Amino acid sequence: MSRSVLLAAASLLALASPVRAQQLALNDINQMSIQQLAKVEITSVSKGAEPLSDAPASVYVISHDDAIRSGATSLPDLLRLAPNLEVMQTSPSNYVITARGFNGNAADQNFSDKLLVLIDGRSVYSPLYSGVYWDMQDVPPENIERIEVISGPAGTLWGANAVNGVINIVTRKAADTQGGYLDLGVGDEESSAALQYGGHLSDDLAYRVYAKDFYQRAFDSSPGVSAHDGWSKPQGGFRMDWTPENDTVTLEGDLYGGAEASLGTPNQVIGGGNITASWQHALEENSNLQLLTYYDETQRSMENGGAFVLNTYDFEIQHNFSLGGWNNIVWGAGERADQYRITDRLSTASSLLFIPPARSLNLADIFAQDRIPVTDRVELTLGLKLEDDPYSGWSPMPDARLAWKITDKDLVWAAVSRAIRSPTPFDVDVSEKLGSTTFLTGNANFLPEEVTAYEAGYRGQFSSALSFSLSLFDNVYDHLKSIQLNSTPASLLEWGNTIEGHVYGLESWATYQALDWWRLSAGFNLQHENFIFTPGAIPLLDVSQEGDDPHHQASLRSSMDLIDNLTFDADFRDVGALPDPKVPEYVEANARLAWHVTDRLDLSLSGFNLLHGHHVEYLPGDEIRRNFFLETRWRF
Amino acid sequence: MALLKRNSRAGTWRSCRHAAVLLLTLAAAGQQARAQSSLEYEVKAAYLVKFAPFIEWPDTAFSSTGAPLTICVVGPDPFGQLLDRAAAGARDGDRPVIIRRLAEPDAACQILFVGGDDRAVESELEAVKDRPVVTVTDSGASAHGIISFAVISNHVRFDIDEAEADSVSIHISSKLLDLAHVVRKGARP
Repeated sequence: MSRSVLLAAASLLALASPVRAQQLALNDINQMSIQQLAKVEITSVSKGAEPLSDAPASVYVISHDDAIRSGATSLPDLLRLAPNLEVMQTSPSNYVITARGFNGNAADQNFSDKLLVLIDGRSVYSPLYSGVYWDMQDVPPENIERIEVISGPAGTLWGANAVNGVINIVTRKAADTQGGYLDLGVGDEESSAALQYGGHLSDDLAYRVYAKDFYQRAFDSSPGVSAHDGWSKPQGGFRMDWTPENDTVTLEGDLYGGAEASLGTPNQVIGGGNITASWQHALEENSNLQLLTYYDETQRSMENGGAFVLNTYDFEIQHNFSLGGWNNIVWGAGERADQYRITDRLSTASSLLFIPPARSLNLADIFAQDRIPVTDRVELTLGLKLEDDPYSGWSPMPDARLAWKITDKDLVWAAVSRAIRSPTPFDVDVSEKLGSTTFLTGNANFLPEEVTAYEAGYRGQFSSALSFSLSLFDNVYDHLKSIQLNSTPASLLEWGNTIEGHVYGLESWATYQALDWWRLSAGFNLQHENFIFTPGAIPLLDVSQEGDDPHHQASLRSSMDLIDNLTFDADFRDVGALPDPKVPEYVEANARLAWHVTDRLDLSLSGFNLLHGHHVEYLPGDEIRRNFFLETRWRF
Repeated sequence: MALLKRNSRAGTWRSCRHAAVLLLTLAAAGQQARAQSSLEYEVKAAYLVKFAPFIEWPDTAFSSTGAPLTICVVGPDPFGQLLDRAAAGARDGDRPVIIRRLAEPDAACQILFVGGDDRAVESELEAVKDRPVVTVTDSGASAHGIISFAVISNHVRFDIDEAEADSVSIHISSKLLDLAHVVRKGARP
């Protein structure tokens, strides 16, 4: 099957003449009127207006176009485009996603928990365990403006839990998604429908509303044997932007509910809603005031007990300005309250309890950063964040970065920074029972996991066709989470902080515009993890409990604008073997052929995981099958 | 110690792993770097191409009536492919729009984007000072062309020096002047 698709692709390629293909992927900017151009927002709203090309950090940006052309239907699959992330799927609804290792070890109850994920400024990692429930996060690809992926600590500016990276998802403004839009997809694994409408209430007040639903059928637990874990999740939402002269006011929200089947464990029901309001006010040139507030509710429950309800209230303020003409200062503060109630999962065989079952956690922070030009071409960035965590109190997170623009097209940077993953209810309050025996409890003295990262990088634009980025990192970790013997008789085991270590490696990517109509992108990363038990600790299990990470990952993507109205995209990924539990190295490929039939109608056929009938990405995890997806997008 | 380890591995731990599956379902079952600046320059590139219909050049600015409208970039090129894409297929009336990249400013350009450091910009502006060329400078530059980009609260805007345009017989439409952030007024007829 895959061979025939590749053959078809090859014959299409042969047909494609190297004529300047029209920009099929609708280059929105170039189609705008000159009046509209003045309304395009050009930098990330957060944290000062610095072009990312100058940012002294390992940053990869997934554009709207890349997102659409990947054919990916879910947020996690879109994130596979970022070479500085590891994305591993375990079931139709669940993924493990990390940067720079620490994908966790499910059997040892160590979960990937060191990323900050933001959707339009709303933090979506769960404060219950610091990990992300990826099945609860969805943004229709059509509405994604861009996704900024920063690997390495970025806690100073971006917020709590940015230990190993930040995924910042920015949605498109309502003004950019005007008119009606209907998206219908059908495939051998998934069928989906999305309907959206955007309009203007007045010249400076635009809105959109959307609704979508999908059904994804179960994967296999072993080839040919269903894992019975299909799911569906209807979701709807809106966004409104009011843009008077010097202000931008945005109100947006989503509502969703879903049902996930699973084999051997009870089915789950998930649901939630959120509403975010932000106000950006331009004070003068290079000076902005931004307020952001949101409310987010999430719920999960298992059919026969075990549930939680979490309500998050957040308020943030940020102000950037220049001082004395040469300091670029950003400062701000935030306060978040997480109120939750957990319903214990009780059974005669095994139980999971949280003591106490309900809490209100307060997280506060204050931060400041100054960008100081040292010379014309050298800029120093100094930042400090003070974070008041619910369990561990105040922690400083300093950050120092140096950027040297050797020429307008070459940037060398270096950075030293510190970040923490603060304790959560899962680290402190949990109690697990087998029968009537308590075998594991949380630890009231659990320490924040800490990282000090030493980084350096180069970014260059070698010619108008070739750009390249290389980042090197050596992250030193302390007080990593581990299982230890409980010193009190309350239980056999408890969480501890008895592992330390360092992870070093490189992240690199390049983009090459080979021809007007053909772009190639490649990514490669290497990492070496070196963990040891702290002196004096009694080792239990081994250091593999921290993560089961591949030593290397490589990717190659080809984006072609073929004859007139056809685009063809293909990507290959090679993910190294996982050591414990062992998962063999795999190479997989996706491809998408899209036909821009008219300005109103697009048709596309995507094939995913084309090289093999099935493969495994993480254990415990399902067999992921080769599959195809046919999609129509109609604008009206 | 060894016994305990074996025990915990083989006995309790296997059970732990079972419980872990439970927990899993509750707890965890749960620019490319240029892209950002490229958005800024994508907008600037689009502007460069879209300015033309709002501008009238004296006939002396073109070698012939059908000669293309030439947009030139002198000095470091911040646009790369973006400008070529913006200009692809674009026309100004009967004239096709073409892009040229130059080492030295050239009067054969109708629109000239001048990049580089302040000193370079100044000397390049000086080189075409009396020619009917719409000079465009980037935001942040201290020397300003007839049109100068400005980034104002995350939006790309532009200032127009109408007096300077007048002095080289270039007429800028009032529609474009209205869109400009700041206009240095020229002599009104």
